[in-house]
Amino acid sequence: MNKALAVLGLIIPLTLLYIIYTGSYSLFELLLGVIVAIIVGYLFADAVVKHPGKIYNPIRWFWLLIYGLYYLTIIEAKAHWGVIKLIINPKKMNPGIVRIPYYVKTDYAAVTIANSITNTPGTVVVDIDEKNKKMYVHWIKIIDTTDEGARKHVSETFEKYASKIFD
Amino acid sequence: MYELVEAIIYYVGIVMVILGGILDLIASIGMNRFKNFYLRLHAATIGSIGGGFYPLIGIGLVVLTIHSLGTMKYYVAGIAFTTAFFLLITAPTGSHALAQGAHRAKIVLPEPAVVNRLLEDEEKVEGGE
Repeated sequence: MNKALAVLGLIIPLTLLYIIYTGSYSLFELLLGVIVAIIVGYLFADAVVKHPGKIYNPIRWFWLLIYGLYYLTIIEAKAHWGVIKLIINPKKMNPGIVRIPYYVKTDYAAVTIANSITNTPGTVVVDIDEKNKKMYVHWIKIIDTTDEGARKHVSETFEKYASKIFD
Repeated sequence: MYELVEAIIYYVGIVMVILGGILDLIASIGMNRFKNFYLRLHAATIGSIGGGFYPLIGIGLVVLTIHSLGTMKYYVAGIAFTTAFFLLITAPTGSHALAQGAHRAKIVLPEPAVVNRLLEDEEKVEGGE
């Protein structure tokens, strides 16, 4: 039962992705998309999905939508503007590697935080210590060198949304 | 009303494409002005997100409003949107691999650096053994 739910939870997004990618909804494309999605979903369900109930939770999808919109407009725009200012005037920068702890439980949430940090210009994750739950982040303009202070400036927003979506 | 919405989508797409070109230019200037590998990674991020992701979304939006293409517009828009999505989730993977590899191999040091917690912790581990 658990496995069937997990496979179904993969089939729906995979088919949707295929339909968007091909841009046509003829019977042939639909059938091909569904068949390939069933095969892929069956093969990868064990590795990719651990708690199938989370896929069917609309609140998580709602937070994912809110986070996607907020991240792609406001956060990205601010980060781009910060680095563009530094490119115009490189003397103002203050680079270094800071240590940032994270408190989420699942791997998906940790990956979301790391990808969000790297995708904003100005911060790049250099290394991750999974045992002690710490990320080492190269930050181009350091404001705070302490662990908690750096977390407040770099990853607190990402972590708030990631724990709502994946934990 | 429908035409107004379409015109807004069209101009938003055009603005995104032009902005992407400007950001690509700024990123390449940054690549030349920053003198260290880690600093250049930040300029590369501007190139991949501001100069890669947003123009692709813009192309998708623009194409959706051009009716002379017929059903072809859905193909182009679909491919643009899915490419943008995969760029967004795979671009950081390359940056992570490059940064971690450069630091572990000790080929480049992040200089100038105010603090380097990673080096401090690595030395602590080596000293403890």
